[in-house]
Amino acid sequence: MNGAEAIVQTLIYHGVDTVFGYPGGTIMPLYDALFDSPIEHLLCRHEQGAGFSAIGYARSSHRTGVCIATSGPGATNLITALADAMMDSVPIVAITGQVPTGAIGTDAFQEIDILGLSMACTKHSFLVTEPETLCQTLHHAFTLARSGRPGPVLVDIPKDIQQAIASCHPPLDLVANNFHPEKVESDNLHKALELITSSSRPVAYIGGGVGMANATEELRQFLDITGIPSVCTLKGLGTVNADNPFYLGMLGMHGTRAANTAVQECDLLIVAGARFDDRVTGKLEAFAPDAKVIHIDIDPAEINKRRPADITFHQPMQWVLAGLSTPLNNNQWVDYCQQLKTEHQWQYNKPGDDIYAPLLLNQLSQRLPDNAIVSCDVGQHQMWVAQHMTFHHTRNHLTSGGLGTMGFGLPAAIGAALARPNDPVVLVSGDGSFMMNIQELNTIKRRQLPIKIVLLDNQKLGMVRQWQELFYDGRYSETDLSDNPDFITLAHAFGIGGKVITHRDEVACALDEMLDIEGPWLLHVRIDAMENVWPLVPPGASNHEMLEKSS
Amino acid sequence: MSFQLQLQCHKQPDVIERILRVVRHRGFTLNTMSMTPSNCGQKIELSMTVSSLRPAHLLIAQVQKLHDVVTLRCIDSQVDSSSSAIGC
Repeated sequence: MNGAEAIVQTLIYHGVDTVFGYPGGTIMPLYDALFDSPIEHLLCRHEQGAGFSAIGYARSSHRTGVCIATSGPGATNLITALADAMMDSVPIVAITGQVPTGAIGTDAFQEIDILGLSMACTKHSFLVTEPETLCQTLHHAFTLARSGRPGPVLVDIPKDIQQAIASCHPPLDLVANNFHPEKVESDNLHKALELITSSSRPVAYIGGGVGMANATEELRQFLDITGIPSVCTLKGLGTVNADNPFYLGMLGMHGTRAANTAVQECDLLIVAGARFDDRVTGKLEAFAPDAKVIHIDIDPAEINKRRPADITFHQPMQWVLAGLSTPLNNNQWVDYCQQLKTEHQWQYNKPGDDIYAPLLLNQLSQRLPDNAIVSCDVGQHQMWVAQHMTFHHTRNHLTSGGLGTMGFGLPAAIGAALARPNDPVVLVSGDGSFMMNIQELNTIKRRQLPIKIVLLDNQKLGMVRQWQELFYDGRYSETDLSDNPDFITLAHAFGIGGKVITHRDEVACALDEMLDIEGPWLLHVRIDAMENVWPLVPPGASNHEMLEKSS
Repeated sequence: MSFQLQLQCHKQPDVIERILRVVRHRGFTLNTMSMTPSNCGQKIELSMTVSSLRPAHLLIAQVQKLHDVVTLRCIDSQVDSSSSAIGC
């Protein structure tokens, strides 16, 4: 067995059935070993596409995503996807080829110090320099990627190591996940319960960490038992039952007025798997000014980083939430929050005939089954998806939260389609983001993946244009995209059918047609170039200073 | 505020680079640093003083997450007393 074959055996040991990548010189031994292996390899058309596909695969399935690239440009093209996975805590193992060990440091062809480059955007990275350490290093990478707060791990493997004689062994460092609470942890739970029962205006602030901790059911039970009003971050969407009457929606810069008002007025924030991100808090000093904080997060570095907490937990989320589930009687506060929710419901009755993107996305959401996966890109459409579509699990909403990476959506949708082939996958993109990884349309073609693409086209870089309008005196610098290609012709070139719609009365039929078609489809939706995302907390403002459309 | 950090790390070629990157990125300035191998030869002992307007725990929590950092101790040089990591 050579090193490359040992890599394949190690991947199989970890249950990997699908990998995403792009071959090249220094990774050829591994591609040779993959050639007749049971592992399915999806050839993406750019290493960044392979990285995002691995993320889509991982996020939609709660498994570890694997991507492969060659040295030099192949490896550097992975960097943005690794950074995205780092910011959003996605378990990824990236395998890169490297020039032979003797050539490292000689500026060899396609040589780059990817270990050095990866330090800021991975949980850890390895350069394998001895064939006998290859398998254990890979085992270690899988363990690290999944353990604690998940994240990407890179393993750089020189070509001669892939070609050397190697052997494959089971991991030496098996990790036991048994948790037995000790007295100090139980005492902490009692203190938190005292805080909860003594509060009169509690709010649960839910992030993506709850789903990642497999604690969605415990969170839902906690909310059902306590009756505490809840809000979600962008990555937390889908954690709370959509029909929970006390759920107030997304908080933060483009959150609902009900969510932001409740958080600003609460006296206790129970923060689960969230990190007081700046897009959530607005002006930090003015965020939830009267609230005490119970912070539950597996990453100790997130505790007291942006907001001091009164009580903290790093223990398993399921145990903490189950321990905090106690019936409460905060009827006056709950009634007030429900009143906020009723008063500030979304309005879809915009006058005119042109297509109103929030309404279209709401119509699309109503047509999708609960198991549908929606991948989106970054910009105005991303916020409209978050605001106007309903999710039944965090696994069903793929969005680039922390890094905010345009070009994420299409390859992430591809990864999700491979991870969950029986579930419908819809990509909602914008004309700016879509063009950033447009080459991945050929990956759809290659595998005939039945991905439905809803392209919201305002011929602008919409979110930047919106900020230019509101905060830069309407000086629209380089946000005009009126020279976009003909997207339908473009889709046809990749063997994908499609349709253009421009009027509101075409929407319902076009959505039905798209969802009825068996294969991939592009619905090209022309929308008003000057439409903005509302409400909006301006930069530097606090969350109670939300701007509405009439402001 | 300046602090002294005493670390024990696995002897990996990249470990110093990783620690210094975190020190810089998290808003701390490196003032002094010394390194010695441990008796067993598998680890290194690292001592550094850093300064920042940011509280020490923000750096400590990030350095402790590094895979090859085994132990970390922080000494508040201004009060000249050692303490556990987060308490500094």
